[in-house]
Amino acid sequence: MGDLMEPERPPVSSPISRRTALGVLAGTGVAAALSGCGGSDSRTTLRWWSPQAAPDQLKSYKARIAAFEAANPTIRVVFEPTSDEGYPAQFAAAFAAKQLPNIVTHLPSFAAQNYYAEGLLEPVDDVIKAIGATQFLDGTNDIYRTADNQHCALAIGNTAVDMLWYRKDLLQAAGIAAPPKTWDELRRACQAMQKPGLYGAALPYGMNAMTSLIFIGFIHRAGGQIFTPDLGVAIDSQPTYDALEFYRSMREFCPAGASNFSWGESLTAFVSGATATGIYGGRVLANVAAQNPAIADAISCTVYPTMSAAIPAWTFNDFPCLMIPKGAPHLAETKVFAAALYQPEFYIQQLHAAPGHVLPVLKSVPADPRYQANTLIARYPAEIDLMTRTAATGHNLGQETSAHRPNLKANEIIASNAIAELVQRVVLNNEAPKPAVAATAKRLAELMRA
Amino acid sequence: MPDIALQRPGLSRERRDALLGLLLIAPTVLVLGAVIVYPLLSAIALSFQSVYTPTLEGHWVGLANYRELLGSGGFWAALLTTAIWTAGTLTLQVLIGVAMALLLHQNIIFRSLARSLVLFPYFLSTVVAVLVWRWLFNDLYGIVNHALMTAGVIDAPVNWLGAMPNAMLSIMVVGAWKFFPFVVIAVLARLQTIPEALYEAARIDGAGPISRFFDVTLPQLRDVLTIVILLRTVWDFKEFDLIYLMTGGGPVNGTRTLPLIVYQQAFGLNQMGMAAAYAVSMMLVMLVFMLAYLQRARKAAA
Repeated sequence: MGDLMEPERPPVSSPISRRTALGVLAGTGVAAALSGCGGSDSRTTLRWWSPQAAPDQLKSYKARIAAFEAANPTIRVVFEPTSDEGYPAQFAAAFAAKQLPNIVTHLPSFAAQNYYAEGLLEPVDDVIKAIGATQFLDGTNDIYRTADNQHCALAIGNTAVDMLWYRKDLLQAAGIAAPPKTWDELRRACQAMQKPGLYGAALPYGMNAMTSLIFIGFIHRAGGQIFTPDLGVAIDSQPTYDALEFYRSMREFCPAGASNFSWGESLTAFVSGATATGIYGGRVLANVAAQNPAIADAISCTVYPTMSAAIPAWTFNDFPCLMIPKGAPHLAETKVFAAALYQPEFYIQQLHAAPGHVLPVLKSVPADPRYQANTLIARYPAEIDLMTRTAATGHNLGQETSAHRPNLKANEIIASNAIAELVQRVVLNNEAPKPAVAATAKRLAELMRA
Repeated sequence: MPDIALQRPGLSRERRDALLGLLLIAPTVLVLGAVIVYPLLSAIALSFQSVYTPTLEGHWVGLANYRELLGSGGFWAALLTTAIWTAGTLTLQVLIGVAMALLLHQNIIFRSLARSLVLFPYFLSTVVAVLVWRWLFNDLYGIVNHALMTAGVIDAPVNWLGAMPNAMLSIMVVGAWKFFPFVVIAVLARLQTIPEALYEAARIDGAGPISRFFDVTLPQLRDVLTIVILLRTVWDFKEFDLIYLMTGGGPVNGTRTLPLIVYQQAFGLNQMGMAAAYAVSMMLVMLVFMLAYLQRARKAAA
């Protein structure tokens, strides 16, 4: 299909099916014929949603859309930005109103599993086939496999969301030779680096998804988990108390406004130089280059420290994916466009729009000279390599470890802010951890039953 | 012409007039039924069901949503928070609004320009206003903390939006800034109709400016202020976007008002039935204010 629809580009791999392609061709041909009858734009419109909509990313999407529309004159693609915090509400409203986008990208894997389980997504196996299942890094799409042995989504990137970003110059000035590996080392480093006008860390304490998602990582880095592998509530355990204690102890090293931090504020705090460490994905690189180039040579990242050296690292990868809502019109055209997003030239362009943040999932890309040609990717090879490796072994609440069953309620748990509320109760309100954790465990159990 | 159109044997004139009245009022009834009664009945019906928002599929649960809602501390805490927010921001709106209206009623230079500019916050999009205020309150780069620290009022940045009671006070101030122009418009219009003779009589009786305000101006403003307060109470009670964008309901649940819970239940937790139960409960609370407003309006008309 890709070769039929876009003759100027070679297909990534075997096309979808000839029948589908002919169907699309016939459909768009009819649409083209009909277009002569009316004065208005009679092209088939595909709506594309994504929360990844920074200016450079928008530019890359526009380039992809322009090339696709040029090759398919009867199709028009409209990009509509959504947000990491707001997508559950936008999705729910869109489904309820039956005003569905045709394609959604860069939402976390657990959202796809959740929506598919409710019968709201189309399986995307034929899109994977069109791109070529073997083109993806091994196991990349496993997290999207469903109970009926299909794929509810396909990977569009990887992101190591909670890397520890630090300033080499500030560490050195504080007499610290190596980046921290344990919580005690991190606390000592933050203490040593903090001074008037400079905070040690940029951890989030807000009542929002970021706080929930980030704190889940801290529980794992204390050796705990939110749910058992068979999805029993397991948050009421010693590692959670340890994580809360550490998180509370870090509050003094964070700006006063951290109790309202979400992704943007946390990122900006580190990028602007207001904090000596940060917690974020690779977007730090582009933002530092654009907004604070003076510190560009001084920044680096490592996996976030654990409570002790004996506890393995746990990295939050939201597994940004591509999904196709069920019930949206023009399914065949949508699948063609979905496959087109992975054509190397445009796929690399998308990755370059957020270098190091959205990491490649196609095997051929990391070594592709076109990918390597990016200034930031060339400038920070060690950081990019570390994030790529770390993200590949990452997890999220949708599947906390490889042993866990997919958690189809993860979306609602994050949207409920139950875990962020736990953090706020203990850290900001100074409530006793025991009853706060017990209340959270009860709330999680209710959400799982709902 | 109606007489001719509706003239039929056996119909009295009164009957024909009554039919004509029904005919003329029918479009209004139909439109109001479609945009008010139907959504209202739908919301009430939804509140007795468990409904998954994206598919709107659900089943009847009777009073279970209300039992859960009234039995949870969350509803009562949010109701209290909503009442505090409403009372706080409304008080500020009325005080600032009346003060500004009195100022704009004086013969000051650029009065026309000032009267136009004072409406600016009311016309500004809430999203834009919140972005600006969040930036002003920012602890790292905000001008509020910077100015206070420069003036030596504080030693360290104040956490305006992430700690209580600062967060509640901050949203009250922003709410007052955003909505006080409504009070200004209403009060200024009334001020311009107060007979000057009343003030002259008060002056002859030796009343100073403060006495004239409390003995002449305020009694004359009573009716308009009552209506303004009732309307703004209803509107502030259901205010969503300003609070959601400023604090998201935090810290913890410090600024979590009922509309924020409705939103979270409907679109975060996908429980449309429970969201409808919260919304209906809110409506019942607001009904009290509406009845007071109607009674007041009826009395004013009489």
